[in-house]
Amino acid sequence: MIELTPQPATRETVLSVRDLHVTYTVASGQVPAVRGVSFDLQRGDSLGLAGESGCGKSTLVNAILRLLPPRTEVKGQVLIEGEDVLTMKPGRLRAVRWTKGAIVFQGALHALNPVQRIGAQIVEPILLHKTEATEAAANKRVADLLEQVGIPAGRAREYPHQLSGGQRQRVLIAMALACDPTILVADEPTTALDLMVQAQVLWLLERLRAERGLTMVFITHDLSVLTYVCDRLGIMYGGRMIEQGPSDVVFEDPQHPYTRALAAAFPTIGDQSSRMKPAGLAGDPPDPSQLPPGCSFRPRCPVAIPACAEIDPPLYDAGPHRKAACILVARR
Amino acid sequence: MKSPLVEIEDLRVEFGSARAVDGASLRVFEGEVLALVGESGSGKTTLIRAIQGLQPMTSGAVRLEGQTATARHRDTVQMVFQDPTGALNPRRTIYEIVAEGLRIARFAGDEEAKVREALGMAGLRPVERFLPRYPHEISGGQRQRVVIAGAMVTSPRLLLADEPVASLDASIRGEILALLRNLVDTTGLAVLVVTHDLGLAWNIADRVAVMYLGRIVETGMTEELLAHPQHPYTKALLSVVPETRQMEQQILAGEIPDPRKIPKGCRFHPRCPVMRSGEAARLGIDERCKSDDPAIIAADTIRGAACHAVELQIRGLRSGV
Repeated sequence: MIELTPQPATRETVLSVRDLHVTYTVASGQVPAVRGVSFDLQRGDSLGLAGESGCGKSTLVNAILRLLPPRTEVKGQVLIEGEDVLTMKPGRLRAVRWTKGAIVFQGALHALNPVQRIGAQIVEPILLHKTEATEAAANKRVADLLEQVGIPAGRAREYPHQLSGGQRQRVLIAMALACDPTILVADEPTTALDLMVQAQVLWLLERLRAERGLTMVFITHDLSVLTYVCDRLGIMYGGRMIEQGPSDVVFEDPQHPYTRALAAAFPTIGDQSSRMKPAGLAGDPPDPSQLPPGCSFRPRCPVAIPACAEIDPPLYDAGPHRKAACILVARR
Repeated sequence: MKSPLVEIEDLRVEFGSARAVDGASLRVFEGEVLALVGESGSGKTTLIRAIQGLQPMTSGAVRLEGQTATARHRDTVQMVFQDPTGALNPRRTIYEIVAEGLRIARFAGDEEAKVREALGMAGLRPVERFLPRYPHEISGGQRQRVVIAGAMVTSPRLLLADEPVASLDASIRGEILALLRNLVDTTGLAVLVVTHDLGLAWNIADRVAVMYLGRIVETGMTEELLAHPQHPYTKALLSVVPETRQMEQQILAGEIPDPRKIPKGCRFHPRCPVMRSGEAARLGIDERCKSDDPAIIAADTIRGAACHAVELQIRGLRSGV
């Protein structure tokens, strides 16, 4: 559930983001990249974040593990199992980054060291965080992890260039799982992969979530991929969460006009209304340093009314477990 | 149908022992969008280079408007790349970028008029506003429009578009696809779009050809092929596309084999769900799948699949069994 309201104690909240603001400092001034985002995730939940380049989704997940450049202003709270990541001491943060929250980046080729065997790269965090007592036990764990992600353990001695793109992405997943984290953050983990390999990786992530009760935050710009993997969706625009709810209903029946445009961009094969009619959205994503007054989507919005220029809408209730930041939703 | 603009007959391209294209036949007609679907290593890029006349062939033929394709056809055939930011020279203005194609082609007429016309066709209006700008001053969607204007300025007959929207944001994707479709409908241009995005095919393509390990394994009109795929590889691809969520998923194990080691018999048989499920054995064709290469789909085929199981089914229907 990504509701702010407290949940019954039967399910444990493992990640809680509260009114998070992230502002970058650049030569030309301050750039607000995330402007007040809140959500809660219980163990085993998967949240998909979608939105265009510059909407703040990568900044948001990087803020969760405090992977932001120095001199970035961060306000609000990020609680992992009740502990605030934003105020942690560096030593504690280093431990939390592998054992509580781990991240799988996109571009598997660049995230791996080209001159180190893959086994040695996976064993490093295990030894560093003393997850396994002996080196032999740690090596056994590497073998298990590789098998879990579908790579024969014997290939631990190979270098990244000897693996295919899909296998390298699996190695990154194995590495992220090395210290048995509670939360797995995946930033566009399948973007550079072929269709069938993408399906293999998504299926793997889904299986790992089911087996280990992993809590996942999944980013992509492909809404249809998210619906497939995540039970909850959060749509971001101009640094805000503008719609959230169960993924199938958000995709099938979007409430915010931006989500509607995004959903229409991914046609359902067989749906005659999209045959030979690609749907797009005129205009460009807003420049975070020059956000328009009122609703930041207004300049591109097909249903905007004069009041939209004055109110920057918060998330309004939009049905069971759903919210949308649009004054037309509030007025219904 | 109209006359074929491009004709590829049994094209083979070998790099040492690697058979990158291994007997592909295909036609592209004027006024159509043909989606060439396949994964990395299927030979799509080599096929495209052959159409551009940039690829020495081992055997077979590639003809453009009836003549053997050579690099001199660069006015007839233009290319649209995946990443517009990488494709544009950051130190040139939009005017210079779009005019470059004309200069290379030693165009003798009114250069500025041509550039303005191309920018207008690509939907960059008002044209004056864009002429003096640099690529970093415009948005990603506008950059891809500049790339398309640069390709259209020499009035090509064929655009080769390699994943033209894969690097673009979702909301911009539709706009660029609509532009390509509109250019085809208004000018009679042909577009061969290489993609792994079957939703794109549904959005703009008249026909689809599916490529696997150097060969076209299935071809058909878009609606027919996507609604009733015949080849087990196409079926598997469609089942994993998030856009067709009602189908049961068939995730193939492994990845596309090394083109230096193309499997004997049907090249798809080691990964084929029909083989793996025992269906091929039940039909009595498993030995054939392992030893006989299915016939190449002829260039003039409108609907076909290179698969022993499909062939058996069609023969059964014909003989009334």
